[in-house]
Amino acid sequence: MSAPVFVVGYTATDAGADAVALAARLAAATQGRVELVTVLLDEGRGAVVPPDASYDAYVREQADGWLEAAAAGLPEGLSHGQHVRQADSFAEGLLDVAAELGAAYIVVGASRGGILGRYSLGAVANELLHSSTVPVVLAPVGARGVTAPLTRVTAAIGTRPGADAVIEDAVALVTAAHAELRLVSLVTIDLPSGVDTGVIRLAGSTHAEMVLSQARATLPAGIVADASAAQGASIEDAVAALDWQDGEIVLVGSSRLAQPRRLFLGSTAAKMLRELPVPMIVVPRTHNESSRTNTLEGERS
Amino acid sequence: MSTTREPVVTGDPLDGGLSKKGLSAGTVGLIGAVVIGISCIAPAYTLTAALGPTVSEVGFQVPAIILVGFIPMLLVAFGYRELNRQMPDSGTSFTWAARAFGPWVGWMAGWGLIAATILVLSNLAGIAVEFFFLLIDQIAGGPGTIAELAFNPFINVGVCLLFMLGATMISYRDMQTTQKLQYFLVGFQVLVLVIFAIAAFVHVAQGNAFDGSAPELSWFNPFAVGSFTAVVAGLSLSIFIFWGWDVTLTMNEETKDPEKTPGRAATLTVITIVVLYLLISISLLAFAGIGTGELGLGNEDIQSNVFFFLSGPILGPLAFLVSLAVLTSSISSLQSTFVSPARTLLAMGHYGALPKKFAAVSPRFFTPGYATIVSAVVASAFYAVMRFVNENVLWDTITTLGLMICFYYGITAFACVWYFRKQWFDSVRNVFFTLLFPLVGGIILGALFVITLVESMDPAYGSGTEWFGLGSVFVLGVVIIGLGIVIMIIQRFRSPAFFRGETLSLDAPISARSGRRARKEAAR
Repeated sequence: MSAPVFVVGYTATDAGADAVALAARLAAATQGRVELVTVLLDEGRGAVVPPDASYDAYVREQADGWLEAAAAGLPEGLSHGQHVRQADSFAEGLLDVAAELGAAYIVVGASRGGILGRYSLGAVANELLHSSTVPVVLAPVGARGVTAPLTRVTAAIGTRPGADAVIEDAVALVTAAHAELRLVSLVTIDLPSGVDTGVIRLAGSTHAEMVLSQARATLPAGIVADASAAQGASIEDAVAALDWQDGEIVLVGSSRLAQPRRLFLGSTAAKMLRELPVPMIVVPRTHNESSRTNTLEGERS
Repeated sequence: MSTTREPVVTGDPLDGGLSKKGLSAGTVGLIGAVVIGISCIAPAYTLTAALGPTVSEVGFQVPAIILVGFIPMLLVAFGYRELNRQMPDSGTSFTWAARAFGPWVGWMAGWGLIAATILVLSNLAGIAVEFFFLLIDQIAGGPGTIAELAFNPFINVGVCLLFMLGATMISYRDMQTTQKLQYFLVGFQVLVLVIFAIAAFVHVAQGNAFDGSAPELSWFNPFAVGSFTAVVAGLSLSIFIFWGWDVTLTMNEETKDPEKTPGRAATLTVITIVVLYLLISISLLAFAGIGTGELGLGNEDIQSNVFFFLSGPILGPLAFLVSLAVLTSSISSLQSTFVSPARTLLAMGHYGALPKKFAAVSPRFFTPGYATIVSAVVASAFYAVMRFVNENVLWDTITTLGLMICFYYGITAFACVWYFRKQWFDSVRNVFFTLLFPLVGGIILGALFVITLVESMDPAYGSGTEWFGLGSVFVLGVVIIGLGIVIMIIQRFRSPAFFRGETLSLDAPISARSGRRARKEAAR
């Protein structure tokens, strides 16, 4: 497998810096390549403001400057590229570039002002999560301050089937980065009072153990995984109950409601996002083929 | 290399650096250009704001003044087109005047443009507020009490500031109205104005107009005004009503067919606008007369916003359509108008004529963020102060606006003439478009500026508000220009590079004929 390409949706903001820092960490861990992309919106979509080509040229120069500055901040020796794109939306431009370059991941920063949690999904991330065919990496606020190497990859396995893509991706990442793998199943105990919670807890965790051991069985030979079932009154509690390393990253699958090979952030993943102290990668349900075709297309072109 | 931290200013000729094809290249078609043109002019807003003041100057001869006022506008627009073709730049008048006449004149041209657009922003918001309350009143069944709220200065200023805030957000975040919606809004605006005019004519024909009088040919005769100064005052107002039209001509590489689209769009836009203006002004003159009675166009109480008072009597239950048309037209115009001071401020910041902050582009929305916010704050503050100081604020800003437009358009026209001085006689076309047309246009506007300034010293001028024994329009105009000179001198010491011509140098493209001669000699 060729070196994974990390396409970064870059703006010269804190969120952009978070995304670049995270992508640089991941690329350094996997010997991958970082492609910084800024998307300028197509003019002519509106009909009130007179378009001004010279202003656009000015903005374009400015965007080039921003990308240069961001690239200059990347660790030395990391291979990287820069692209200014024009498209109808930021997400669309990112997806185009990702398809062209055969990207393995698209990295975006969480929006600023996430008062209610570490992540507050911006419009771009939201659109990506609804349409991307490539795994999307969400950099939490403050990712630019993290320097720890990638030490552990946690794959969040639901209690329902459909975790194959997540596990496969996690294994690829672990192999490339020589990191540990941890399989996690989140169990919520959300029951009316009066029910014998002890029994339910037992039943729930038994089910989780079963899912985990099944998942473990699918791991390729040579991959060792730690597995744990996290419990809590809610998904948020369960996430908080787990221990997290500084250099950790979490993989979750996209919702079962998503169209095949496209992302859609499920409710569990959305809840996790609110509590998670580490970056998260959302993997399309049947991502394997798509990423493979993307890579092939990329290599061909 | 980091461009963000380094000064971006270079001494390179900008026609090499800035005119590279941008994102907008080839995105606008004929209809799109016409829609942008009409949105920028905003006929519904313009007429309601300018008709009253114009009537008070020239009486029944408004149609004549509209037609005559178009001439200097057209002549200057030709100059604009030449300059824009040679050196497209976001700084427009500022950049062009600096290239032709040097940094000081360039600075003042930029200042004039910014002052004019900031004045119009505050006026637009003021008109929008009045119609906002009128519309609610009309929808509520017309008790009249809600519409009255618009004249309470506290409510008025409060709502106006909210409108400005909204418009600033929209501009800052670059939220654009979709084409379909804008096509609809412009179509709606034109249709409502036509219905409004027809309804007024019907009242006149039925004999139940307020002060009915049949239209006469003399309304088209500028010499029937009688007074030269009145014609001048009327003309500087009619400059305002065509202001914004030049965007259709200056969109070159942005259009799908740069050879044909701009010219056709400009023609189509101006025909639409002139027909509308004539139709509305003639019908309202015929309906309401120029007297100072309740609904008379000469009544000072209704002059700053005539549709507000006339739509009810003319359209009855359908009057809310006019309110809607003016409201949507003001809001679209707010949006397009915001862009122009922001882009000029950005260019001035870029070349070091203003602090660097003004050149900042928002990294999230790619708009001239800082410049947009500064424009909005100044326009809001201006409106709030003026509303409390002088209740005829809308009236006087329109007249001052005309003055400022004459000022910077005039400079731009002369800049065109001087900049192309080595190419005047390259072709017959150049004789007209780079020499005669802009020169005559510039002289007319310059004369309008000087005469209006002198006339407006009389306290009776405009709304008749007196400050320090002088007319308020004169004081406003002089304060604005004086403030510009003061800030310019401060800037001279803070950032001398621009004023030494290091960032934007004097230039005059050489004659193509001398170029040919040189090539021939080289060939020999």
